[in-house]
Amino acid sequence: MCRMIGAESQPIDDNDRQTQLLRGALDMCLLALLAREPAHGYELVRRMETAGFGAISYGTIYPLLTRMRRLGLVAHKQQASPTGPPRKVYALTGSGQLHLDAWRKQWDRFTDTVDAALRPLDHNPTRS
Amino acid sequence: MDTIDCLLSEADQAWRGYGVGAADRAALAADLRLDLRAAASDGGDPAQLIGGDVAGFARRLADEAGVRRVRGDYCRVLGTALTGAVLGAVLGYGLLMAAYPVFVRMVDIPRSIDVPIQLAVAVYYGVPAVVVAAGMVIAVRTRLRDLPMIRRTARMMTVFVPVACIIIMPITIGFAWATGYSLAPSVVVTEIALVLAALAGATALARHLSVREGRAASDTSHPDTTRVKPA
Repeated sequence: MCRMIGAESQPIDDNDRQTQLLRGALDMCLLALLAREPAHGYELVRRMETAGFGAISYGTIYPLLTRMRRLGLVAHKQQASPTGPPRKVYALTGSGQLHLDAWRKQWDRFTDTVDAALRPLDHNPTRS
Repeated sequence: MDTIDCLLSEADQAWRGYGVGAADRAALAADLRLDLRAAASDGGDPAQLIGGDVAGFARRLADEAGVRRVRGDYCRVLGTALTGAVLGAVLGYGLLMAAYPVFVRMVDIPRSIDVPIQLAVAVYYGVPAVVVAAGMVIAVRTRLRDLPMIRRTARMMTVFVPVACIIIMPITIGFAWATGYSLAPSVVVTEIALVLAALAGATALARHLSVREGRAASDTSHPDTTRVKPA
């Protein structure tokens, strides 16, 4: 006999949902944070946390940063540090800025669409 | 060895297994070392930063960096090559058995001519050896087309396998002579193992060298990444 799986039987996992939402936007968020101010890898992890994204691991950020560097969206230079070894500081390139602008517009369109879909209807049609 | 060295060593193992070449491994490790050292000087724990799955992190990093990967797949290559060797041995032995009476009928060597025993042995063992080597190369070349650098591997095998045969044959014959040409199972198995080991070694060497050439450093850098041009 088939067992029906109701929507209410599936536990809602907020963290899992958050991870899925973030997956498609993480590179854009990183670019946006770098657009404000160049940073090294570890610093970016902290900035993401401060920005309210929760604890995103360095193991996630660093490979992504490497990909963006390969794609020419970010560039790096070594910067001497008074407190430790030299740091690899990442900054947005011209191409990165163009991509960020385009992604931001796309994101705005997307969130507008999602907002419109999620907005509850504010009128109650009555039938006579 | 400090924590960063340990992590990088573990990552290097993962990159090796993932088929990342030496130059790319060195570049990835140098970048990562710099970043981890910076993080450590800010009070971060490198082991905690990367997390428990260092190998997974290393593979993800290699993927994102776009490095070229050429996996050795030694098990498949050796398995296929040795299967080809066994089939070649059977075919070569059959060929020799079939050709021997024909040769005897066609070539009537006068009894006055003394044929050196070494020549006779070379022909007797050489014919199957050539077929065995050909069987290995053909098997690898035709059955493993999906593997990268397999053409180069097969080309190198055409050199290394005959050389291995030439080296191992007198050793095996010497072993057989030393054991009084015994047909005891342990002796025969040892002789077969000697030959197979030599063939496997030649195949592995051919694969290793061809894969190493295929793992030249990847050009993963974008022209813009060499210098910072703040937007």
